[in-house]
Amino acid sequence: MRIWVTGIGVVSPLGRGAGVTMDRLLAGDRAFGELSLFNLPEMRTRLAAEVPGLSAAEVAPEGDAEAWSRTDAMSVLAVREALAQAGVAPEAAPIDLIVGGTTAGMYETEDLLAELSRDADAIKPLRAMLTHPLSSTADHVRAAVGPFRRVRSVCSACSSGANALLLAAAWIRAGVSRCVVAGGADGLCRLTYTGFGALSAVDPNPCRPFDKRRAGLNLGEGAAFLVVEPEEASRARGVTRPIAELVGWGVGAEAHHITNPEREGRTAARVMQAALTRARLSPADIDHVNAHGTATPLNDSMEAAAIRACFGPEAERVPVSSVKGQIGHTLGAAGAIEAAVSVMTIARGEIPPTMGLEEVDPACPLAHATRATKADVRAVMSNSFGFGGTDTSLVFAAPNAFPAPEAPARRSVVVVSAATIGPLGVLGARENDAYLEPGPAPSPGPIHFQAADHLDVGRARRLDRAGRLSTVAIQRALRDAGLDPSDPSIGAEVGAILGAAFGSVDGSTAFMRRIYEKGVKFASPADFPNLVPSSPVGHASIYLGLRGPVFAVADLGVTAECAVVTAADLIAVGEGEVLAAGSVEEASPMIERCLGPVCSGEAHGVRSEGASAILLEAEPHARARGMKPIARLPWWTSWRGAGEGALDAAPEPPTRAVVLTGQEDLPPGLRLPEAWARIPHRAVAPRSGVHEGAGGFAMAAALAAIARGELDAALVVGHAPERGYALLLTADEPGSS
Amino acid sequence: MDPADVRQKLKELMVTELNLEGKEPADIDDAAPLFGAGLGLDSLDALQLAMSVEEKFGVRVPEGDEARSIFASVNALADHIVRAKAAA
Repeated sequence: MRIWVTGIGVVSPLGRGAGVTMDRLLAGDRAFGELSLFNLPEMRTRLAAEVPGLSAAEVAPEGDAEAWSRTDAMSVLAVREALAQAGVAPEAAPIDLIVGGTTAGMYETEDLLAELSRDADAIKPLRAMLTHPLSSTADHVRAAVGPFRRVRSVCSACSSGANALLLAAAWIRAGVSRCVVAGGADGLCRLTYTGFGALSAVDPNPCRPFDKRRAGLNLGEGAAFLVVEPEEASRARGVTRPIAELVGWGVGAEAHHITNPEREGRTAARVMQAALTRARLSPADIDHVNAHGTATPLNDSMEAAAIRACFGPEAERVPVSSVKGQIGHTLGAAGAIEAAVSVMTIARGEIPPTMGLEEVDPACPLAHATRATKADVRAVMSNSFGFGGTDTSLVFAAPNAFPAPEAPARRSVVVVSAATIGPLGVLGARENDAYLEPGPAPSPGPIHFQAADHLDVGRARRLDRAGRLSTVAIQRALRDAGLDPSDPSIGAEVGAILGAAFGSVDGSTAFMRRIYEKGVKFASPADFPNLVPSSPVGHASIYLGLRGPVFAVADLGVTAECAVVTAADLIAVGEGEVLAAGSVEEASPMIERCLGPVCSGEAHGVRSEGASAILLEAEPHARARGMKPIARLPWWTSWRGAGEGALDAAPEPPTRAVVLTGQEDLPPGLRLPEAWARIPHRAVAPRSGVHEGAGGFAMAAALAAIARGELDAALVVGHAPERGYALLLTADEPGSS
Repeated sequence: MDPADVRQKLKELMVTELNLEGKEPADIDDAAPLFGAGLGLDSLDALQLAMSVEEKFGVRVPEGDEARSIFASVNALADHIVRAKAAA
């Protein structure tokens, strides 16, 4: 089963369009200039690679530009270009959409957040905040371009765009997608600009990847999307040849440090090797490495060590280059832009140069391409590494250059544990049905949580509250499964997919306020890494030693359901064996009074907070290590829009079954199949409180009831405006306890 | 500025700014190395500490090789602050 790339769209600081971007990369043009988007007093540098002349108004509906972002604009333009080249349209056929990113509409909302936070009483729903959640980019692409079917927003910091493509590959290999447009987008904003500055990671001059005198990165912005399809689907609609093929991918976490990469590049090498293995290629088959190459001292020497470790003697031959010397580091877009460039490198037979590299650092001994080079390029590896040590490598190949891989056998997914931390404390796999018992509503606001009761606070000192709540939930789920991630006898790396509807709103607000009140030089280096949406799960991976796939998802009030469904999608096709999935939501006046009512529609009931972690495993893997699952996950789905007909394919309920939701209501447009409409409907919100992660508590409650033999099945349904998820959890052996 | 007073303030600052939970300022050895084996701090802590020293004492800590000797210990950092204040 070949995965064809049939369309590319790019908006970069070098131009609008994939073709013009590649032309200028090959010409050696550098896009750095004086920052025009914003000015903050006492900035040490004003260098950046902006996309010139771009505004949200270009793509927003007439009169609604205040609720759209520049990130939206770049995404919409790049998605349109990719779809047009592929010759597909979401109105005509089901197309899925995956957007990687880190900041979404931060540029448009960061001032407003700081302003609103000055007076808690003044916090109110503002339409301009619609563009704040990470999921808003995908929502706006859908609104502007067409009715994409399945939609996901993923974040793993600077590898987000690459992980969007990895998830697209998983969907295609699972046979659930016939066309996916996947990529990443990130607009420049004050928060990332000052944050990387605070980390002393920014070179005030144009950056020098792999150079002896390199002094940090330059920030850029942009978007790139690729249309990927299974060969059969593409041929069926008349396409005879792709631009290239997506043939390999690997993902893993370093579990090392929130900002610093492993010095020796052990995980990066492992992930690169995993991508080669998936592609069934050897280092000798790779004709070019499109490096992450940020030009920070630590990244480039780590990456060079990793390339040498993975490629062995072939490292002397394979040309390596980084586009960051020309367009800067585009963060969540970088992995997607570099994937697009890799595809064009194959299609054009010309390798782009590393600009800014004059004297190769002896610590980076590679075959650096310092000028554009014509070559017969059959396969390219593209590397992306993010904060928290989230490493991803992709491999693209020329059409039909290598034998077609087999489609994988689909594996059953089971649940081996679940845990929550919420108003009822930390509850394990067989305890969460407490959220289904009658009892008092929780107290509004933050839950009681003493980190020292659950964590070694010396080791957890860098973790903010969201990081700690996430870590405690995953830790408890692992403990109840008797699973130690560092135990080699597990035979697989444990991963985690966990996000928050709105990311670190209060943290971002405090970070910006400090800058406005004290000046740019007092931006907190320690706080900045905690503001990326993948920070809580990244911290959890470091604390707990999780080295499998680690990233965040965000989807308003169904983020926990989104995480579990995404984990199941990956496990089903062999992109993970054991994955914790869930969400973390913090009580915050900004969420309660502004973002919740505007974005997720969560406005009624007692607002609380909490984290959930559901531990999923491939059934063959669980059985092989003698693990008895607490439940099975035989069926799951998701939808956009009203959800008409979305549950029609749900299997029939057994005798003792319930429909379970986080919030108390079922979506008005959703029709339960007749057999499910007859059985009881229960909700956890009266005990868990209302928050965007309540669905995680519903899943955990269902699992505990099933584990204790009180239930045979639960259909967990989660919904938020224009979207929903449903999962069927069933007893491993119905009727037994 | 009294060096003893600066050392005390510095250690209080470290406990709060670097989230050294479970540690008291008195637990920090004035002569012990801050990084690596000693307190176990790293480069991200160094950046946070440099920022907060400038905020609290109005003294800039230079970057690069010069910073290495200044960040050697509480004593060395306090000396730098006292010297910089005296020169101002």
